[in-house]
Amino acid sequence: MTLQYASKPEMPEGLAVRIEELSLRYKINVESKMTLKNAIMRAGRGEKRRVRTIEAVKNLSLDIPHGTVMGVVGANGAGKSTLMRAIAGILPPTEGRIIVNGKVSTLLALGVGFNGTLSGRDNIILGGLAAGLEREELEERFDDIASFADLPNGFIDMPMRTYSAGMYGRLAFSVAVNMTPDILLIDEALSTGDAAFKEKSFEKMRQLCLEARTIIIVSHALGTLNELCDKALWMHQGSALAFGNATKVTDQYLEFLNVGKVPSALEDF
Amino acid sequence: MSSDPSRAEALVSKIQVFEPHKASLPPMGPYLREFWRRRRFALELARFTDKAEHLDSPLGSVWLVLNPLLLAMIYFLLVTIIGGRGSAGSSRFDVLAHILVGLFTWYFAQNCMTFGGASVTAGGKLILNQAFPRALLPLSSLIGAFQKFIPTLPVYLIIYLIGGALDSKSKLPGLNWHLLWIPAMVALVAISGFGLALLFATMNVYFRDTSKLMTYGARMWLYLSPVLWMPDMIHGWHRILIWANPLGPILTITNSVWIKGENPSWTLWLGATGWAFGLLLIGGYFFVSRERDFAVRI
Repeated sequence: MTLQYASKPEMPEGLAVRIEELSLRYKINVESKMTLKNAIMRAGRGEKRRVRTIEAVKNLSLDIPHGTVMGVVGANGAGKSTLMRAIAGILPPTEGRIIVNGKVSTLLALGVGFNGTLSGRDNIILGGLAAGLEREELEERFDDIASFADLPNGFIDMPMRTYSAGMYGRLAFSVAVNMTPDILLIDEALSTGDAAFKEKSFEKMRQLCLEARTIIIVSHALGTLNELCDKALWMHQGSALAFGNATKVTDQYLEFLNVGKVPSALEDF
Repeated sequence: MSSDPSRAEALVSKIQVFEPHKASLPPMGPYLREFWRRRRFALELARFTDKAEHLDSPLGSVWLVLNPLLLAMIYFLLVTIIGGRGSAGSSRFDVLAHILVGLFTWYFAQNCMTFGGASVTAGGKLILNQAFPRALLPLSSLIGAFQKFIPTLPVYLIIYLIGGALDSKSKLPGLNWHLLWIPAMVALVAISGFGLALLFATMNVYFRDTSKLMTYGARMWLYLSPVLWMPDMIHGWHRILIWANPLGPILTITNSVWIKGENPSWTLWLGATGWAFGLLLIGGYFFVSRERDFAVRI
């Protein structure tokens, strides 16, 4: 956990997230497996561990006011997901700092369903408890979550390994938005639902925006982003290339991709 | 809206700051507070994991008692065959009673190690997607191991009383006041087990074959512990087997209370308490100082 309550930070009112000169680096193991056996064999041969340092986020500063719906675009490996994890407090910054004002709900690569042998119901409860909610609170919200996810009948009590990708995504989204977050982080989760559910998700997100909640969405679906977001951030190789009006930034991004405004790129997913 | 003063106030109290860390501990006050606040998660995780296991095998809970029982029979046969007339002085049943209570206690600690060791690597998705004190995962393994251990106590008590009454040569003390030490003994095993769980969970993140090695390590450790042999059988510098063994003193206490009906010496209590809290501190430091690294290593 990276929750820290060090010096009382200065946070201008109205800001949901302030990112100050954030850099994130981590080392990945190039070797196939991290085992004690390999480590000993390597030491026996006098070799060093082969690692590669990844600079996922480089010197990024950003202020996100409350009520902003921000889209994050960029190529694969641009550092979008790492940035989201850092805002959620999962990955500690290597340099700089992040100040978050409010309760964060994460929908990162589908957070619920970490245990496939358990039912959707049990996973919702476990995920919620881990997020720091009270059991009673969860029981109260359970009906909202289940009815929003609207799984085919009986699936909520089936082991999650029996779920289709779409059902999985519906449940994950439903959990995240029903936790009454102040800040909702969504990472590529919208792509799994069907058209009807997608419409419902948009509706829910618009509603959350009206309640002055902050939403950050990572997506490759530029059409969706333009429709939902008022701001957008374009990340490229760990740095912020552009930040501002959503349509403007996505246009720039498209131009960069050298495809122009081809309809297919604006099509959803 | 943020213009609403009450909401703005509520938000200010929820400000979190994420800053770089060195390979050291996070502020322990807030950490422990969050840990305690979310204890329900560990409890439910243990309960749900148990439930998921039982879905696959309806005999699940029976096996938990049956497994050490059958093992005890095997070890008993081994010990009496190898020991031959060496153990003729004492009742055969007393030897069995010693092995059995030792194994039940041992399995409590070993379950903490095995389940706890795998807890972090098994919780991958949750670790990647949510910020919470990671020590809750090994805590949940401890709770699971404890829930598996508790039913073995009454089973043991029945065997202990009936066998003691039937075997005329038995010197077992039966029900006696020293048995009131049991809660303290269980607590010390639990604390040691949590320390071991934290330690092996961390090691497992860095070296994925830890759990495999642990199977052999645990078996060797069992043979070096006063479970298959009586603590009184070794003398002189061999006694180091008891003191240098993190579970040695507590297993000796178990023997004193159940088999000999004696008050365990204060040196034993000191040793057991020292090891328990030592393991907790070492395991806790190792785990908590590195847990922020888990998300990138999973």
